[in-house]
Amino acid sequence: MTPDKTHPFRLDGKNILVTGASSGIGRQTAISCSRMGAKLFITGRNAERLSSTLNELEGEGHQQLTADLTVQAEINLLVDRCGKIHGVFHSAGVSGVAPIRQISEQFLHHVFQSNYFAPMLLTQRLLAKAAIQKSGSIVFMSSTAAHLGVQGVGAYSGTKAALLASMRCLAIEQARHGIRANCLSPDLVETPLLIGSGPSGNQEWLDMQRKRHPLGLGTPEDVANAAIYLLSDASRWVTGTTLIMDGGVTY
Amino acid sequence: MTADPFSLEGKRILVTGASSGIGRQVAISCAQMGAGVVISGRDEARLQETFGQLQGEKHLAVGADLTVAADRLHLAEAAGQVDGIAHCAGISTIVPFRMVSEKHMDELLDINFRAPVLLTQRMIAKKQVLSGGSIVFISSSAVHIGTPVTSMYAASKAALIPAARSLASEVGAKQQIRVNCITPGYTRTPMLDRLNEGGTSIEANYELAPLGIGEPVDVANAVLFFLSDASRWVTRTTFQVDGGLTSRISF
Repeated sequence: MTPDKTHPFRLDGKNILVTGASSGIGRQTAISCSRMGAKLFITGRNAERLSSTLNELEGEGHQQLTADLTVQAEINLLVDRCGKIHGVFHSAGVSGVAPIRQISEQFLHHVFQSNYFAPMLLTQRLLAKAAIQKSGSIVFMSSTAAHLGVQGVGAYSGTKAALLASMRCLAIEQARHGIRANCLSPDLVETPLLIGSGPSGNQEWLDMQRKRHPLGLGTPEDVANAAIYLLSDASRWVTGTTLIMDGGVTY
Repeated sequence: MTADPFSLEGKRILVTGASSGIGRQVAISCAQMGAGVVISGRDEARLQETFGQLQGEKHLAVGADLTVAADRLHLAEAAGQVDGIAHCAGISTIVPFRMVSEKHMDELLDINFRAPVLLTQRMIAKKQVLSGGSIVFISSSAVHIGTPVTSMYAASKAALIPAARSLASEVGAKQQIRVNCITPGYTRTPMLDRLNEGGTSIEANYELAPLGIGEPVDVANAVLFFLSDASRWVTRTTFQVDGGLTSRISF
């Protein structure tokens, strides 16, 4: 792919921050963004896997920082290091399977810390430090779980719905600066997170899920491509909204 | 080198309503991304103007009034097999609810609902939409808002959404065809200009969206995403391209 000014989805000249880049969707989004010409700043908790993502990025000048975004000092350090950015993709997150009758305060804190507090506090810090350029784009990873009822993921769904609600307010607050905020709400995507989160004896469950989705399960590439659309100038008039991507699953 | 997921190279796309506004820009943008485009519209002179702006060759212009069965048939036959359809033809007129007549209702439903649905029906029945293909209906943010003095416009555009979702369920698993709706907010088009000629200015509404009024290219870029393989896993959904307009209302 050569830089082409008529290609509205190119990310040439943009600095993009991707969290959760050591694995799954975050990793693929970083790689895909680099192929579209972006300079990446990637972060994740696992240093070794983060370096392996960095090695896969196309082009020069990408940077990485190992960080645990549930720790405010590490958020602050990340914002100091990443400099001016044109887009942020909040991919870091955890799953958490427990029926509501079995959840505890500690469990709720755990999933909310990673899935809601971390992306909100990182966004707050980026905005407070004026790190996001005018007409920048903020993309959160929500989930179809925020829109529908799924057995056993009450806490997780709550974090994803919280992101949706806050994203709309953020979109309205930041519009005057031309900064946009949107969510992606994918259904099941084949990532290490998914493979590790299903019931035991997993293969059968995965096969059943594949059958439920007319277009099969999602791939990290599918989500990465949607992220590119929302991070690029092609979506400069899109804010406060959510793209549901679910392979057409009905029930 | 990885293939560009946003490219429309090698794809044939049918665009209705291509003589002006969003449809014209969709046709131009599709051609820019490498597609062979079949354009249709009622105004032959303006359709030829669009045709003259299409990059590359292998395009085709077919004058057609899609409310006429014979014209739909002619267009479908001329188009042949396609990888995508962008249904952009549509009208709107200012009519307060107390003035709504059966004739007005028929006109809006004929152009905005029956024509795109029946054209799609014909093309699906004759297997003219190839596997992996994508069908995009231009609905409107009016369907979420329930805009005043355009009730039948909103209703005719709203009817597209369940029709599209239903179709998506029928052609998903077996044929791997995707069907989605886009709901644009106030977009600077000749259709919008004509609405303001009737004496009831709706210009004040443009500023209701946090990002103001949109341009046809903003909607066209969303259509490109939905027509390209970048949205391979997205079907049965409705996507808001409205500058944040609907993030201010609950629906």
